[in-house]
Parts: sequence; structure tokens; C-alpha cells
Amino acid sequence: MEALKAKDNGLTAAKLNPGERMLIQHEAEHFLYEEAALLDARRYRDWLALIAEDMHYWMPIRRTVTQSDIDKEFTKIGDMSFFDDTREILEMRVKKLEAGSAWSEDPPSRSRHFVTNVRILDVAGDEITAESSFYLYRTRLNTEVDVWTGRRIDGLRRSGESFLLFKRHMFLDQTLIRSTNMSTLF
Amino acid sequence: MADIADADAAWDRQSIRSLFDPATGLLDRRIYEDEDIYQRELERIFARGWNFMCHESQISNPGDYFINYIGEDQVIVVRDTNGQVNVLLNTCRHRGNALCRAEQGNTKSFVCSYHGWNYGLNGDLIGVPGIKNYYRDDFDKKQWGLAKAAQVDSYLGFYFATLDADAPSLHDFLGDTGRTGLGMVASQGDIVVLEGIQKNVIDCNWKIAVDNLFDWYHVMYSHASAGSSGFLNLSEILHPNNQLVMLGDYGHAISGPGIPKEMQDQIDLMSDEERAELSKTLPIRLRPRMAKELMGSTGVRSMGHPNIFPNLWVTIGGMQICLRLPRGPHATELWWFTVVPKDMPPEGRQQVLRTAVHLFGPAGLLEQDDGENWSQSTRASRGVASRKLGHTLQMGLGHDHVSTDPNGQTGIDTCINEHGQRWFYRSWTEWLAAESWADLSATRSMPPKEIV
Repeated sequence: MEALKAKDNGLTAAKLNPGERMLIQHEAEHFLYEEAALLDARRYRDWLALIAEDMHYWMPIRRTVTQSDIDKEFTKIGDMSFFDDTREILEMRVKKLEAGSAWSEDPPSRSRHFVTNVRILDVAGDEITAESSFYLYRTRLNTEVDVWTGRRIDGLRRSGESFLLFKRHMFLDQTLIRSTNMSTLF
Repeated sequence: MADIADADAAWDRQSIRSLFDPATGLLDRRIYEDEDIYQRELERIFARGWNFMCHESQISNPGDYFINYIGEDQVIVVRDTNGQVNVLLNTCRHRGNALCRAEQGNTKSFVCSYHGWNYGLNGDLIGVPGIKNYYRDDFDKKQWGLAKAAQVDSYLGFYFATLDADAPSLHDFLGDTGRTGLGMVASQGDIVVLEGIQKNVIDCNWKIAVDNLFDWYHVMYSHASAGSSGFLNLSEILHPNNQLVMLGDYGHAISGPGIPKEMQDQIDLMSDEERAELSKTLPIRLRPRMAKELMGSTGVRSMGHPNIFPNLWVTIGGMQICLRLPRGPHATELWWFTVVPKDMPPEGRQQVLRTAVHLFGPAGLLEQDDGENWSQSTRASRGVASRKLGHTLQMGLGHDHVSTDPNGQTGIDTCINEHGQRWFYRSWTEWLAAESWADLSATRSMPPKEIV
């Protein structure tokens, strides 16, 4: 906790007055909920419209390691990962979902994205860094149930009345992925 | 032990051999759901055969360890202070507790979290708390070291282990086809395994996952959406009428696109620089000259998928290798290891990384669609009516000819086919029916040399 506090105290966000902080908190949360709702509604094209050209969508691999190796728990950028996507790749993922021949998503899965514990980590110019916890429930066919939980670091950039997402780094709580696939967008 | 005795009663040599008929290509679905067959696989295939442990680059320093499995036996693969690689069963000799809980790391010794027994990197029991006061010095530590794999060896930096002292050497087990498969990885140069092994579990029988790697028939249909999304030009990698199959001793096989012989003859005349230059215009990378020494004059033409029997898949070009670990008849863990040449510039490494992430693994645009096919095929083997229906692996049966090149390497140049799957299941029945290595060596089918 001490480490977390020390980190927060260094943030630009801390210099904002309480009113500004509340507004940013509200704006960021509202954006993240809207975005999650688009994914659950399978409105992938509308979701894609919220993705910035310089998007980095990344999920490292988590390993079960000893306390002494805890800095190696997650793989780093440049190591292997589960997702390491640009906007172009995300668009391919969306095209794939729309294809009618993406058999792992046809019949389509049912998903529910829960986004909680939203904390503003940084505000720099028109960019906000927000941390959140996620609980992603997916069920498909009559029998398949997957649950993924974890921490997300999202980069939001102001664009008109809303934001564009330019960074989504996802830190899963599972090491061995207990799912047939991860064909769902997080 | 009762289970094994019952299994022996239920599955004699004759009944096991009848589970796959190489003359008709008919496969009995019970191989995907029968618990007795599964227990027998653990004993007669996984404990008996040579299992891939890790690459030397993953355990380069003394004390480096990596956890893997031989069937369902968890093992610690560790480099000791003499530089030797040991494969130790991860179970304390006192009360069976797992010594090592992390997936990988570095340690001076392995201390059990239950009563504090301490084992050296070579498996010797070096510390027992209370040996003087509670055991009254009446305990022989030398008798209670960790159990070890019967044999550990490496080929081209790839470590393997077997629990069977009677197993032939790794070199002989791999044979020409297995060595060609690993040569495909090593022909990229001095390689390292990148940090991060992707692991996920699929509700399918391990054999369905394995036989799929020989199956280039499913690509256009199963993976159609990877094509239409713009990710891959499937026809550019598939070459349905230029397929090369190699069937090897003990069930190893390679199947997939092959460079036609006349084209390879031209490539053979080119320098490494010319090959690198030409590769820039191709969807594949041409292998360097030295690849021929590692893969042979037929093997070097393969752009397909080797499987080191039973469960180690070398993917396209040797960029990744994937282990399929059995977890009961109805579940399989997939472990993806990604390989790059040590001296590869950062841009090239980045390209390999992204290709690997986007192609395979649970989120891979190609791989996503495989798991559900396999799990549904496995599931459909359980119904009392459906499990009586055979699977058919008849494609190309009796239509192809095996050629032997001047160096004695054999290959089948053909179109999309099911030769690899038939060879895998034929070998599987032979491994399962044999009572020992001596029995297997005497009764196994040798790779065909004429019509297949």
C-alpha cells in the first residue's frame, strides 16, 4: 500500500482540484462502461471506432514464480505474450468475428464485461491513464463457461466529446489459461 | 494396481491392434474416451518414450530449472553445478509433496515445504531436519534421493527424457525423421527459446490435437476466417498439390507443403546470400545451405509439420514448437515455445514474435478455431451410439508411392492426404500393444517403402 500511495502522490492527477478529479473519474468510467457495453452487444465496428491508430493491445504471459522471482511474474514487452496487437490486427479480429466462418465464435459466444475499481493513475495533457479490474464472463454453446479476471491499464486520449483508446495492457490472474481459446475481445 | 489388471483384461494385444485398421483407415472412437486406454497410454507411450523437456537456452546456468511433464508425472528439469542436466520427479520421497511449485526459476537446492527435506540439484537427499534428534541417526539419506528419469539426453540443444531404462538412445529413437524435425528448428542457426511459454488447456483428447498437425485438409475450411479477415493468404501457404510426407520409425512423421524436387535442385545451387535475397519476395524463408546436413536432401524440402512421437509438434519453418500434454482422456494442455536465432536483429525478432502471437496460441487468429473442433470431436466419442461409429482416415489410401532418395531418405510427394494421421495411429496401436521396448522393437511396423 505504501508503494501505491507513493506512486499516486507523484501523479499529475494529484495536482488537480477535487472537482476536476471527480469529473475525470466520471468521464473515464463512463467511457470504459460504454466501450464494454459495445463488446457485450457484439457491436464490434462501433467498438473499433473507439480505437486509436497507435493502439497497443497487449496481454503478457503470467507465470507461477517464487516470491524471489516476482519481478519475472509477467513477461515483458519484447517477450512472448497472448496479445500484442496494433489497430490493424484488432481490425482483423473484428473482420474475423464478422466473417460467418469464425467457427469458435459462430454460434456467437455470450460475454459480459465487468469493469470495476477504476483509478486514474495519470493525466498528461489530453491523455489519461486509468487502471481497472476486470471480470470477463464468456459462455458459449450450452456447456462452455470461461472466466477471466485481471488488471487493466488503459490509455485514453481525448477526441471530440469522447476518448480514443490508445493503450490496453491486460494482466490476467491465470497462468495456465483454462480455456479452449481467447477469441473474445477483452 | 487393480486398475491396470482390469485394463489388461479388457485390452489384450489383439483388441488394441484392432482399434485402427491401416488397411481401411478405420479408427475406433473409443481411443478418445476410454479411461483404461488412457492409463495404458501413460505407461506404454509417455513413460516408455522420450519426452521433450526443454531447450538448453531455457536452463543455461547452474541451478536453472524448468517444470515439465512425462505424461502426468511432473518433473523438474535442472542444470546442476557440474553443468549436467537432471530430470527429477517432482515429489518428495517422504510424503510425496511437490517440491517445486514455480514453473521455472533458479535455486541452490529443492526444499520440501512439508517437513523441510532438502535435495541437491542432482536429486541427492542432503538435509533431513531432526535426523539426529528424532530419527536418532537411524535413517539412510542415500536411499531416499529424488527419483530420476532413467535416461536424459539432448539433440541439437533439445533435451529429452525417458522413464524407461530399456529405451534406445535418443538418437536412435528420433531416427532420421525425428532428427529432421528438430533439424528444421536448428537450421535457423544458433537458437534461443524466448521468454514466455503460452499454456492453455483444451477439453479434447491429446491425440486429436496431435493428428491435426498432419491435417492440411482442414486448413481452408476450419481457418477460412483467418483468410477472409486479411490476416493470411491461405492458398499462398497451403500448396494442396505439392505436399510432402515423411513417415519415420516409432511413429514420427512430417506432413505438409513441400518444395518440388526440381525447385530444390535450383535452390541448392544458390549461396546463403542469394537465398536471403530471394526470401524477401516469398511468403517463406529459404533455408541456409547447412539445413541440408540437418534435414537431409528430402527433408530439407519440407515446409510442413514434423511431429516427434508422441506429442511434440514443430510448426511452420521451425519458428515454434508445441507440446500436447495429456490431462485425462478428455483434456490436453498446449505449451507453445517460440524460437529465434540468437543473433537475429531486433526488427526480425519483433516480426517473429508478432507472427507467433497472431498465428498460434489461444488468441491466435489461426489457432482459435481448432480447439472447439477438437473438443466437440472428443465429446461426440462418449455417446453409446456415436462411439460405435468409426472415424474414417481413408484419404489417399493406396494411391501414393514412397520414393527413396540417393541418401536413403524416404518421402511421399503427393496432394493433400491423410498418410501422416494413418501412420500416427498405426504406430500408436503398436506402442500400446507392446509390453516392453524389446516387444515394441520386434513388433513395430517399419516405415513403408513402396505403396502407401
